[in-house]
Amino acid sequence: MISDYFFPQPAGGVESHIYQLSTKLIDRGHKVIIITHQYEGRTGVRYLTNGLKVYHVPFFVIYRETTMPTVFSFFPIFRNIVIREQIQIVHGHASLSSFCIEGILHARTMGLRTVFTDHSLFGFADAASILTNKLLKFCLSDVDHVICVSHTCKENTVLRASLDPLMVSVIPNAVVAENFQPLSYTPHSNYRVPGVPPDRRAVPPQIGPDDTITIVVISRLFYNKGTDLLIAAIPRILASHRNVRFVIAGSGPKAIDLEQMLERNVLQDKVEMLGSVRHEEVRDVMVRGQIYLHPSLTEAFGTVIVEAASCGLYVVCTRVGGIPEVLPQHMTTFAKPEEDDIVIATGKAIAALRSNKVRTDRFHDQVKMMYSWTDVAERTERVYKGICGDISQEEFYGRYYGQAWKASEDRVRSFALIDRLKRYYGCGVWAGKLFCLCVVIDYLIYVVLEMWFPRAKIDIARSWPKKLHSSGDKRFSISSRGHDRQNSGSSHH
Amino acid sequence: MAPLPPPSPPPIPPPVPVETHPNRAGGLKPPVQPRLLPDPTRLAPEDAYYAPSVPRTRPPPINYDGNVRPFSATRAAVAALRPPPAVPGAELSQKEARKHTRPSSRRRRKGAWKKLLWVKQSYPDNYTDTETFLDHLQRNPRVRPYDFWPLVADSTIIVQHVSSVAIFVCCFVGIVQERLSPVSVVGWGSVGTAMGWILWDSWVWKKEAEEASNTVQAQPVEGAFEGDDGSSSGSTTSSVNNQVNGEPRIISQKDSQKESRSQSQSRIHGLGLSISTNVSDPQFRRRSTGFSADSAIGGPDLASPWTATTPTANGALSPTGQFAFETTESQFLSSRNWQRLATVKSAFLIYFALLGLSPILKSLTKSTASDSIWALSCWLLIMNIFSFDYGSGEGAGATKFPASLSTNAAVMASTVLASRLPSTTHVFSLMLFSIEVFGLFPIFRRQLRHISWTGHMCLTLALVMTAGGAVGMTLRGGWAAAILGSFLGSLLTAFVMGGCSWWLISLQKYKNVVTGPWDPARPVLRRHWD
Repeated sequence: MISDYFFPQPAGGVESHIYQLSTKLIDRGHKVIIITHQYEGRTGVRYLTNGLKVYHVPFFVIYRETTMPTVFSFFPIFRNIVIREQIQIVHGHASLSSFCIEGILHARTMGLRTVFTDHSLFGFADAASILTNKLLKFCLSDVDHVICVSHTCKENTVLRASLDPLMVSVIPNAVVAENFQPLSYTPHSNYRVPGVPPDRRAVPPQIGPDDTITIVVISRLFYNKGTDLLIAAIPRILASHRNVRFVIAGSGPKAIDLEQMLERNVLQDKVEMLGSVRHEEVRDVMVRGQIYLHPSLTEAFGTVIVEAASCGLYVVCTRVGGIPEVLPQHMTTFAKPEEDDIVIATGKAIAALRSNKVRTDRFHDQVKMMYSWTDVAERTERVYKGICGDISQEEFYGRYYGQAWKASEDRVRSFALIDRLKRYYGCGVWAGKLFCLCVVIDYLIYVVLEMWFPRAKIDIARSWPKKLHSSGDKRFSISSRGHDRQNSGSSHH
Repeated sequence: MAPLPPPSPPPIPPPVPVETHPNRAGGLKPPVQPRLLPDPTRLAPEDAYYAPSVPRTRPPPINYDGNVRPFSATRAAVAALRPPPAVPGAELSQKEARKHTRPSSRRRRKGAWKKLLWVKQSYPDNYTDTETFLDHLQRNPRVRPYDFWPLVADSTIIVQHVSSVAIFVCCFVGIVQERLSPVSVVGWGSVGTAMGWILWDSWVWKKEAEEASNTVQAQPVEGAFEGDDGSSSGSTTSSVNNQVNGEPRIISQKDSQKESRSQSQSRIHGLGLSISTNVSDPQFRRRSTGFSADSAIGGPDLASPWTATTPTANGALSPTGQFAFETTESQFLSSRNWQRLATVKSAFLIYFALLGLSPILKSLTKSTASDSIWALSCWLLIMNIFSFDYGSGEGAGATKFPASLSTNAAVMASTVLASRLPSTTHVFSLMLFSIEVFGLFPIFRRQLRHISWTGHMCLTLALVMTAGGAVGMTLRGGWAAAILGSFLGSLLTAFVMGGCSWWLISLQKYKNVVTGPWDPARPVLRRHWD
């Protein structure tokens, strides 16, 4: 795993994705290390739970925890780590991370299989997007497989990097359902008699017509998170519904606007602003409410709405990006990203809750069945196997349109320099040549490094001793002993 | 985390997948329309899955109809986007291949694929659904294709400005080479300006009178707002302009005065004025800022009587905003004449200020080589042409560059050019002429365009021919050259106008804006004024 974004940075989707996926892959018997840049007071090697090894490589951070794109300077230490840890697959995360992009380039030069996970959506219009897309194309023209977190994200990535759609898998994020339990959660098996539906009326807490409904909003207060919509909608929602309260957690540049709105409309007693909360505390904030409002303007997956649903909240969200794919309709009310529509949708949600039509008490178990990191790890493992050739090409890519087809040479990315150059050359009139130059230089650096610091001189790191999971727990049933699986991938002998 | 006992049935009814994708709504769906590729050389969403070949690895099948494209231009992008052949052999036609993707045939095999993440599907993760993949992609959703003749007509605005710049340069060359008397140049220019001003004045007041009579019943609040706004900016306008040389005073003073009066004197008046000057208002302000740089050069202490008098006028004439509707005709006329008087006054003020400045300007760049001056003024004039506000003046905030940049560049160019001239009279003439050409003429042109289209076209023709003639005369000398030049100039201009318009239209097919659900949504907000 390689990415700029990792703990101790406040957890976003990428960080927790990397951490959870790595942990689950380790549980499945692989060896996983994480390479990221240094953070304040954290340089060098760290071991996290379960023997997850994190390399914090000292590098200069320029903007929002992204390292300076230097293209080549990362190569020597990267090669050293890769050889030391006997890595076979390099899995990069997040397209804005220069660490990830450089890592994938170097890994290909070293003859390793590469996977890339895209967590975000990009447009095509503005200059920044054009630059990022070119960079992504550079990175992805030689990658073995790409993972996207939603189908919309896949469409976007395929377009941005001109990829073969079959080389892009959709593996959603997940939530640790145990960390997002509703307030009054009792496992169902305790009181359910098999086959006989128990008295359902007794289970959910009824919401009377005059009970207070609390709407929770947890998001960074940025423009693209739809804070403007929120600011416009809150007074109208509060004006048209009695007994409604808001709890808003998060900080950002739009917080001032939000506070001004509260002061202008004198809503301080109905809207509580908590400031930014840590990821561990999100659940405690969520369970205070009945409705989760998510007015984002763009979102690749939207882990937070899954977390909210897992906490038993009814979700009101905008129909943007990958959000419509994430939750079933009985858990959500969709709105257009318009002020009026959000007010209407929230009104509908309040009415639905007041009429006790929505069984929010079941949400947690349903979400637990839908998303789990174990499932994500399994599916990611299949990708690893596919690119390593453990699964035959026909099986991995094939059965398209229900028919067998011949595996094309194109999909199996050969490591020969000339083939790689061909792929890079197709990136664009000027960019193609530039990319080729980069690749050639990278290759030369590799050759020099091989001569200067021969592989034989590099020590092999000892793996973290693995425990035998002999308990009957289903989740950890894979025995890891005797497997020589390495890194975020697998080597089968 | 208590493990569920395996024999017990799932305690929760598994959620039922709901069809959320519009293309999949309903079991019976109309047959997929064969999508047409608008332009075979561009990438279309269909390329991602309909084209049954991978050109990089194998030759295209024989029956690959219609969209066979050369390997050259978009090869890489298209090839990379293309999936493997849907069918192994090349025997099946594209239509047949598409038939395999019908949901009916697939549904028989296994449940239809859904674009949902929370459903466990029996498809692999990298499955690409041919029907819904890139379904929401839109290409060029907001493109308005240009038409030829409107485009040519609009390009006359640019032609006008370029021509007037050319005329100015030719006049300068004539003055420097002593073929032209500077006094005659500025004399003709001033006559033209005066005539233009009289015309402009009559248009404005005619329109104002109409507006005033039409909008007596308009909302008083609106009028008050407009007047208020106008007066605040008007005072700055007047304060700036009074320090400035020459004739911008004619208009800007008028403007400021109008605005201050619009607030002060009558609300009817204010409304009428603000509507009628809607077009030119922002420009005035910009023009006034445009000259503000020049005022640094100019005498800073030609203290304006107007900055002093306007507030008193305000105080005297506007006890309240209430008596607006009782405005009498006499007031109407007097205010009009008062403004004209002010315009003339300011014109004289600027005239004398310029006269006083001319000796200073003459020796301004004595220590600089002429070559540098030519280069500098050349660049400044190019800057003027490129940053000029060619807009109609309606979307005032829409201009990217402030028009002051353009005006400043032009005035600076003429200043440095004037400093090459031999005598104070020369300098004064050229400066005055440049103010007329770059400061006042655009306002007149803009107004003319709004008033009469025929007049606009006639002016364009006249300008082009004059510019052509002037260039011919400058290059060769003699009237024959002038006539030849004007003829050739008109011909060339017409040719360039047509050619550029056609070129722009033909370039439009390369426009390829891709939008889709991944773009950040634009929030639709109501405006609250509370």
